[in-house]
Amino acid sequence: MGLGFLDRTLRTTGVVLLIFLPFGLYYLGVYPTLAAFSGGVWGLLNLIFISALVRSTIRPEAVNKFQVIGIAVFKFPLLYGSGYFLTQVKQFDPLYLLAGFSLLLVVIVLRAIGAAMMQAGDKPQASDKVRSIA
Amino acid sequence: MDYQSMLGLSAPIAVGLAAIGSGLGIGRAVGSAMEAMGRQPEAAGKIQTAMIIGAAFIEALTIYVFIVFIMANGHFGG
Repeated sequence: MGLGFLDRTLRTTGVVLLIFLPFGLYYLGVYPTLAAFSGGVWGLLNLIFISALVRSTIRPEAVNKFQVIGIAVFKFPLLYGSGYFLTQVKQFDPLYLLAGFSLLLVVIVLRAIGAAMMQAGDKPQASDKVRSIA
Repeated sequence: MDYQSMLGLSAPIAVGLAAIGSGLGIGRAVGSAMEAMGRQPEAAGKIQTAMIIGAAFIEALTIYVFIVFIMANGHFGG
């Protein structure tokens, strides 16, 4: 589970959000769909900036201080400011915002479960040994 | 102290406690990640990935509390 896992997770979440958009507009209405979509984009941006911050600070090589300061200055006010703005929009139900924000976490959990199950399937089982001996 | 006052007093305390918990959690995670990376620099990619996912989950909890606080905010003050 390397850094590619995160990139694939971000891509998967973006695709799921795009697929959700027309269905949400049809079944839920405009504002709930926009709220969930905005929450999802908020979560995506949050993970992108956390990822950039961790990759640039927590590493064995030397840290580029200006890059770290730039990411931190950009991430914290902008993302929390945008989150505050989203929660203040009267038409956006906070529950839909939360649902959209949680989509990324759901995708991470499901991908991790899938990867664990695939790895478990690759390992030789005790029954395989018995079969090969027989 | 009536119900509304108790609610108005306890909600900011709950948000503060969530922020303190998240801060402690991220601090521990970063400390452990740095230690692990110092021991095994070749595993830096895997450690960073686990660190990022952990940080995302920890931060999500704080954001949940923040949104719940905003949802409850309209009910304060009777």
